[in-house]
Amino acid sequence: MSTSAQEIDNLISQKYKEGFVTELEVDTFPPGLDEEVIAKLSAIKGEPEFMLDYRLKAFRHWQTMTEPNWAQLNITPIDYQSISYYSAPKKDSDKPQSLDEIDPELLETYKKLGIPLDEQERLAGVAVDAVFDSVSVATTFKGKLKDAGVIFCPISEALQEHPELVKQYLGTVVPSGDNFFAALNAAVFTDGSFVYIPKGVRCPMELSTYFRINAANTGQFERTLIIADEDSHVSYLEGCTAPMRDENQLHAAVVELVVMDNAEIKYSTVQNWYPGDENGVGGIYNFVTKRAECRGANSKVSWTQVETGSAITWKYPSCVLLGDNSIGEFYSVALTNNLQQADTGTKMIHVGKNTRSTIIAKGISAGRSQNTYRGLVKVGKAAIGARNYTQCDSLLVGDKCGAHTFPYVEVKQPSAQVEHEATTSKISEDQLFFCQQRGLSAEDAVSMIVNGFCKSVFKELPMEFAVEAQALLGISLEGSVG
Amino acid sequence: MSADQIISQYPAEYAKFADALPGQSVAWLRLLRQDAAQQFSAHGFPSLREEAWRYTNVSAIEKKLFSPATSTEIGAIDIDSLNQHLLADAWSVVLVDGHFSASLSMLDGVPDSVTVMNMANALEQKAELLESYFSQAVAAKEHGFVAFNTAWFSDGLFLHVPAKQVLTRPIQILHVVTQAGFMANTRDIIVLEESAEAKVLETFVGCEEAYCSAAVMEVSLAQNADLTLYKLQMEGEKAYHFGGTYVKQARDSRFTHHNFAFGGLLARNDIHTDLNQAAECDLNGLYLGVKRQHIDNHTRINHLQPHAISHELYKGVLNQRAKGVFQGRVLVAEQAQKTDSMMNNRNLLLSDDAEVDTKPQLEIYADDVKCAHGVTVGQLDEQSIFYLQSRCVDKQTARNMLTFAFANEMVEKIKLADLHDQVLEQLLIRFPQVGIQHNWL
Repeated sequence: MSTSAQEIDNLISQKYKEGFVTELEVDTFPPGLDEEVIAKLSAIKGEPEFMLDYRLKAFRHWQTMTEPNWAQLNITPIDYQSISYYSAPKKDSDKPQSLDEIDPELLETYKKLGIPLDEQERLAGVAVDAVFDSVSVATTFKGKLKDAGVIFCPISEALQEHPELVKQYLGTVVPSGDNFFAALNAAVFTDGSFVYIPKGVRCPMELSTYFRINAANTGQFERTLIIADEDSHVSYLEGCTAPMRDENQLHAAVVELVVMDNAEIKYSTVQNWYPGDENGVGGIYNFVTKRAECRGANSKVSWTQVETGSAITWKYPSCVLLGDNSIGEFYSVALTNNLQQADTGTKMIHVGKNTRSTIIAKGISAGRSQNTYRGLVKVGKAAIGARNYTQCDSLLVGDKCGAHTFPYVEVKQPSAQVEHEATTSKISEDQLFFCQQRGLSAEDAVSMIVNGFCKSVFKELPMEFAVEAQALLGISLEGSVG
Repeated sequence: MSADQIISQYPAEYAKFADALPGQSVAWLRLLRQDAAQQFSAHGFPSLREEAWRYTNVSAIEKKLFSPATSTEIGAIDIDSLNQHLLADAWSVVLVDGHFSASLSMLDGVPDSVTVMNMANALEQKAELLESYFSQAVAAKEHGFVAFNTAWFSDGLFLHVPAKQVLTRPIQILHVVTQAGFMANTRDIIVLEESAEAKVLETFVGCEEAYCSAAVMEVSLAQNADLTLYKLQMEGEKAYHFGGTYVKQARDSRFTHHNFAFGGLLARNDIHTDLNQAAECDLNGLYLGVKRQHIDNHTRINHLQPHAISHELYKGVLNQRAKGVFQGRVLVAEQAQKTDSMMNNRNLLLSDDAEVDTKPQLEIYADDVKCAHGVTVGQLDEQSIFYLQSRCVDKQTARNMLTFAFANEMVEKIKLADLHDQVLEQLLIRFPQVGIQHNWL
């Protein structure tokens, strides 16, 4: 360890060269965060110099900021100096060698979700053969994308191969000083996805992090940047329905979407990280900044999210509707059980003329969980003819949980039409009785009713996600009735 | 609070008048006042950083330094203009610049069992009774205005209705401010014992210069009591207004509020109510903003026990450069099962520079509840306009008619005929009324 630390120090003292590649035998940085750590990180990733400047600027700003505390959340204080900010991809020898070494409960869940065996191995982080099926699938896909002109790669690779594109767009939607966690992410992000869809291209397939070869270890500070140039279209899937094995407690990701004239991005997320046990011990903190900028006329962004995991989910996928006639959509299902907490929603900022936005948010709380919808609809002076429709419904399962709605509506334009509706209810005894009388178990009945409640969101999900999401809801609700 | 917060200049200014304040001989009140003064010195008036004040900037009040009127310097009053605000068939308590005026008030024929008196008097005669109601529905730490009011209120009303007594006539509290630079600080306490019934109207008027009027009212409703409270706020164009109504409702009690916010340059209104078992509250509001007015309505309904019902409907019409704010919050506590709550906020923006910010919040910790809220911001319905046009009404008149109808829904809910006409008149003064004929109404 000490020799490798020395080696890094030697490297740090050198001038960084662009395209500089290191093959260091470092596994993990010691915990702690200062400018030196960031410099090391940047050196290991062989980043161009502008990135180091960008990171340091963000870090210096971050040091002046304090953690926000306005959310309806109960967070155990996070010690940022006790986190290690870089961990090299695991070598195969360190990984579990077979499924026998995996927690049987996790395997049980995989079975219920109907995940094939080889995929189970991949999800559980079992070392896999180089000729493993999906890797070759991924390679074929890569070829297809290349033919279409689509760039889809890890952001660290994009920094090597397309630094001008990254430089042009990185941090333009979510500035490095945007908020506490975004600043932290800008300073220390290790990897993430980069997508560029050139003019007039309709991406030939749905892009999924799942198919990106080294997606397995993007780390806790993930950075995603998607650019859809004029007249292009892309559908991007993030996450996975299966619970992910993960050692990091804090996840502070940033996602930036840039949409030009007539382009469309559809961004779907299924998040099912470890929520902690029934007593709320452990579990992931998922603090994410996601924002899309509809820069062009007639552009469109659609966020769809199914949030069932994480001990704490704190995110607001937002749309800044700059271009005339641009459209923002947000469809969300947030389910919390046991002691989970979710404070999620969206922001729709109407700037351009005739901009439209739709918000459909469904919150389900069970156990002793707290589920909050928090959203902002802002119509600026210039947004003539802006239109928004918001519907957020909450479903309560059990009498120990909470469901909260905090919508903010700010309108400065008389021709705008903004509607907001919210209801809170529980699964009625009548509904349950009806289903049970038809031979369904109480648990199946709840699952069915909940799925019906979420239908308007699920129909926005890509086909294969939708099927899995339904199964997922059922599993997440287990133990909440009876 | 934040380090950069300006130190308020008010405590020093108001300390000079402390000896003249009523209730100096009452020990518990002296303590309350001291605590509140400390609270205010530490935090000052609310800042935009506080979530409940994020849309309303009251720093102008800090800059202006309004001073209290001592009872001797009460300005000249135009009795005639005052009379037009008084209801014909009501008992009235008139507070001029924050001080009770016995000569202008009319309390003849109030039943002996009922206590209606000004606060300064009540603190001398009924201090013991007051102690159990004072600072019960709201504490000084709520925010700067309440702390300020508690520390330096100069007078107010004390109404106590004994069990099973039904007041046959409404009681009107008329607040008048006569001079520029004055601050009227009043504290009202209304207590309705078991199964008592009363109707109370608060009217706020004042001169055309800048002044500040801040009234805090605490209401205590015992089991099955019924209070209808009207508030007609018609402050002068340059006035600052803060009104806070804090209600504690025992089981089966009913509270109906009609809030008409028409006047003031900057007006803020707080209504908080705590609902016990099967209590009911009905909050209605209408805010009309013109010119550069800023009108903020803040309501909070706490469902603390099962079976309570709350209904809320606030409507706003904003013209010219006016800004309207609605912040409604419904909280349903864990044990408050079978709660039925409905909150609605509708807004019309009539000009390009008008603005509305609205924030209806639901915070629910119980599962067997029926809670809903809705918000709309928009224009008049094009189809309705078309319908009227097809009946030979020109477009502008059609718009005016529909805008009027939008607001008039709230006026129609008033059950006192006199008051209904008064409010309707105010509505018509403040509206583009081309094409609307009084005799239709």
